[in-house]
Amino acid sequence: MAIIGEWIRRLGYLLRRRAREDELRREMEEHRAQMGEPPAFGNTLRLREEARDAWGWRWLDDLVQDTRFAWRTLRQSPGFALTAILTLALGIGVNIAMFSLVNGLLLRPLYAGADDVVSVHSRSTAPSGGARAFSYPNYRDLQEATADVFANLAASSTSFVGLDVGRGPRRSMASAVTANYFQIFGMPLAHGRSFTVEEERPGAGIRVAIISYPLWEQLGADPGMLGRLVRISGEHFTVVGVAREGFAGTSIPGPEVWLPLGAHEMFSTEDPAGRPFGARETHELSVVGRLRPGISVETAAATVATVGRRLELAFPSVNGGYSIVMSKPSSRLMFMPGGGSGATAGLALLLMLMPVIVLLVACLNLADLLLARSHVRRQELAIRSSLGGGRSRLTRQLLTEGLLLALTGAAAGLWLSTLATRTLLASLRQVLPVAVSLPDVGLDWRVLLSTLVFSLVATLVFAAGPALAQTGRAAAADLKRRTGDEGFRLGGVRIGNALVIGQIALSLLLLASGGLFVMSALSASTADPGFRLDGGLVVQVDPALAGYDEARGREAHLALIDRLRMVPGVEAVTIGSRPPFTSIGDSRHVAPAGAADARSRSVGAVFSVVGRDYARVLGLPMLGGRDFSDAELAPGSGERVAIIDDSLAEELWPGEAALGRLIQFLDAEGPEARQPLLVVGIIPAVKHSLGDPRPYPHVYVPLGQHYESEMTLQLRVAGGGERAMLDTVARVVRDVDERLPVLSVATWRDHLDAGLDARLLRAGAGVFSVFGGIALLLAVLGVYGVKSYVVSRRTREFGIRIAIGAPPRVLLWQVLREGGRITTIGIGIGLLLALGAGQFLQSILYGVNSIEPVVLVTAPLILLAASLLASYIPALRATRVDPTVALRSE
Amino acid sequence: MMLVLRVLKSEPLHGYAIAKRIHLLSADELRVEEGSLYPALQKLLVKGWVKAAWRGSDSGRQVRGYRITPSGRRQLEAEVEEYRRMASAIGLLLDEG
Repeated sequence: MAIIGEWIRRLGYLLRRRAREDELRREMEEHRAQMGEPPAFGNTLRLREEARDAWGWRWLDDLVQDTRFAWRTLRQSPGFALTAILTLALGIGVNIAMFSLVNGLLLRPLYAGADDVVSVHSRSTAPSGGARAFSYPNYRDLQEATADVFANLAASSTSFVGLDVGRGPRRSMASAVTANYFQIFGMPLAHGRSFTVEEERPGAGIRVAIISYPLWEQLGADPGMLGRLVRISGEHFTVVGVAREGFAGTSIPGPEVWLPLGAHEMFSTEDPAGRPFGARETHELSVVGRLRPGISVETAAATVATVGRRLELAFPSVNGGYSIVMSKPSSRLMFMPGGGSGATAGLALLLMLMPVIVLLVACLNLADLLLARSHVRRQELAIRSSLGGGRSRLTRQLLTEGLLLALTGAAAGLWLSTLATRTLLASLRQVLPVAVSLPDVGLDWRVLLSTLVFSLVATLVFAAGPALAQTGRAAAADLKRRTGDEGFRLGGVRIGNALVIGQIALSLLLLASGGLFVMSALSASTADPGFRLDGGLVVQVDPALAGYDEARGREAHLALIDRLRMVPGVEAVTIGSRPPFTSIGDSRHVAPAGAADARSRSVGAVFSVVGRDYARVLGLPMLGGRDFSDAELAPGSGERVAIIDDSLAEELWPGEAALGRLIQFLDAEGPEARQPLLVVGIIPAVKHSLGDPRPYPHVYVPLGQHYESEMTLQLRVAGGGERAMLDTVARVVRDVDERLPVLSVATWRDHLDAGLDARLLRAGAGVFSVFGGIALLLAVLGVYGVKSYVVSRRTREFGIRIAIGAPPRVLLWQVLREGGRITTIGIGIGLLLALGAGQFLQSILYGVNSIEPVVLVTAPLILLAASLLASYIPALRATRVDPTVALRSE
Repeated sequence: MMLVLRVLKSEPLHGYAIAKRIHLLSADELRVEEGSLYPALQKLLVKGWVKAAWRGSDSGRQVRGYRITPSGRRQLEAEVEEYRRMASAIGLLLDEG
């Protein structure tokens, strides 16, 4: 109670300080007057200050005073202040940006308070067995049997759809979900309602949809959106809800629309055997559950495993050999395709590491700047301490200055980071193959906190160090020493040099890594794909996105081929489901038909459905046999045939002729798909992705034998005029069928450049180059700072040497040589680091070695040139020292 | 501070009068410097043991008078008690020698 009263009184004093101080002054004057002559009363100002201290607000006065003073001091040396703030802003900015991104996309838990959400998988019990999705009956059985451990168990299946919100169909992603899906994360919808149990039932076919928040915003954030129609894969769906802002589902990237599970069959073309979605054999669902309060993960896992065994016994033909396991998704990584594989984690680590290195360089630079500055200010501090400035008071003053710098830098960095995050996100959207809703990557408290902590640590380390060192000195000694003093200079320069060496080494590391990415992007763009790129055009279409069934889709495909063949200038036209360099490959296990050891002799090959003239359009010769006939392009036409490439032939029958032999697919579903295929033709192998060191085996089947909606028409144009043909081709395609969704019309070369691999490489090259550039800039600033400092310290020495006749060339050379020496040491260390980084990058980069002579020579040369330039300016200043001025200054 | 509270116990006084009273009551033995008096008074204000108010003095001038508060009285008693115990303990110790 007494304490509270006391603080209330203190606050009262603070609020009416001026009046209270005035009272004290009047009171003391009165006292003095009453004492009569001669006044024995002391200095009233000093007394008043001491009396005032009783209220305990002195620190506040000091802080205000210090801040004002620090502001003035920094304003007096704007060059220093700007460099320091810029350094900090860059260092902090890139870190916040990168951290926000990695945190937002990969590390942040899906939803706050979703600690009890787990994902459930079906896993093969075979030693090398993989995971399998759930069928709807299996999911329902699991749900019923685990009702006492899960408060909620939901399922979803995500697939590509054609989404038309009034601007023509485009490719997007949709999740079919169970009725309770939105309850799992405790995230009610922003508008409208969730799906009903009736809508969930497989085959129900009720056309309702919930749209994502970003899509709703795109459509004008209209509250009247509910009840409107959107076209999904050609069908009209009624919007019944809008998801909560920031909800992106359980996959990355998140879908734009959610549909009830019962509508899944309307657009899914997944099941080749044509089984209904509700069958126990159709495994398409991923399952997440929310634990009941008080149920531990272990208890739930045990229950789930028991149910798994029961399902195995009940349906041995379907569930035999599959157990059910549960894992706790601690972060988004777990929901990523591949379940947070090592590569994803490695990439995240790499992305996180880079800005840390930049930050390190920035810190070294800052230390440099403050060190040089503290030497310059030695005399000023000495004067102030001899005038009665207490050590702690002076230290506090220097700390305030550092804090002001750090906070300004942090604020600038924060601003910079919002710009950088936006840019990074925009470039990320380009890399992703479809329009998707990305989770919210705004600042969160962790980012803000780490920025604040970093600023404070930077202040303590870089301001407190010099402060203690400086104020601890005997003031008198410092007053006597002039700023050209030898004894002091050496220590400062030595530390400064070490810092610069560190900066150069780290910048070289980033530059060299960037160089590797650039090299890789270059070699990727000039790589030989194994076929002719020139004169090629591609047109991607997907009739299913307009709701076309197989018959109408086939019709559209054939009509397009026929019509495009008639375009003047077009030499040949074909169609293919998996043209080279498509990011999604459909791989099958191929084996000689009827072989007893088929499983062990099988070879993985890209499965592709093609039309006539496929080899001809790619500029490949027929190595043997024949092309597909026109009859084979229509369904149900006699014998099952295939064309394989020479690499597959060599692996299946080494050293023997493959033509006329039979092959079979081991993993195809349905009895028809298991029938053998006659090899009627052999063509050369092509690469399927940029990263392939050699061509990948392919197996081609004719259009009539297998239907896929999304196909790529490939055209060969006479005389290399393909770019000029783009518009004509696009118009012809529109003329054939206006409603047909055309995904892209591009030249082969552009198509390859726009491929995911190439984009990732370019993004990597860009990011590393930017970071390397920032580090280089910082390192150059560091070299310049230290050299300028050295030269200004030695003005007197240079003056004397010029006075006694030293040629300016010698002085220039001396300063440059010293600069060159520390740069060389830094480059030496940096090269070792770069070699280490190269080892690591080699595994993820295409077509580069860990030791790339071009990179390892160019990067150091750039650094050397930049650092020599940075020391050249101070060196030139050294030669221009006017001897008379230099000597008089003493 | 104990001394200031003690002289204020009987009547409210202003700064100069407090100094004079202490000097007088201690038979000229103790002199409170202004440098200690005003910080002490401010501290008493912070603690809430005295209250200050402007009033006209005998000579017709405006002076700032300090009045002891109930919590100030309790504090004085405690401090006097504490001081007595201390003094008697020291006395005992000295007598022993």
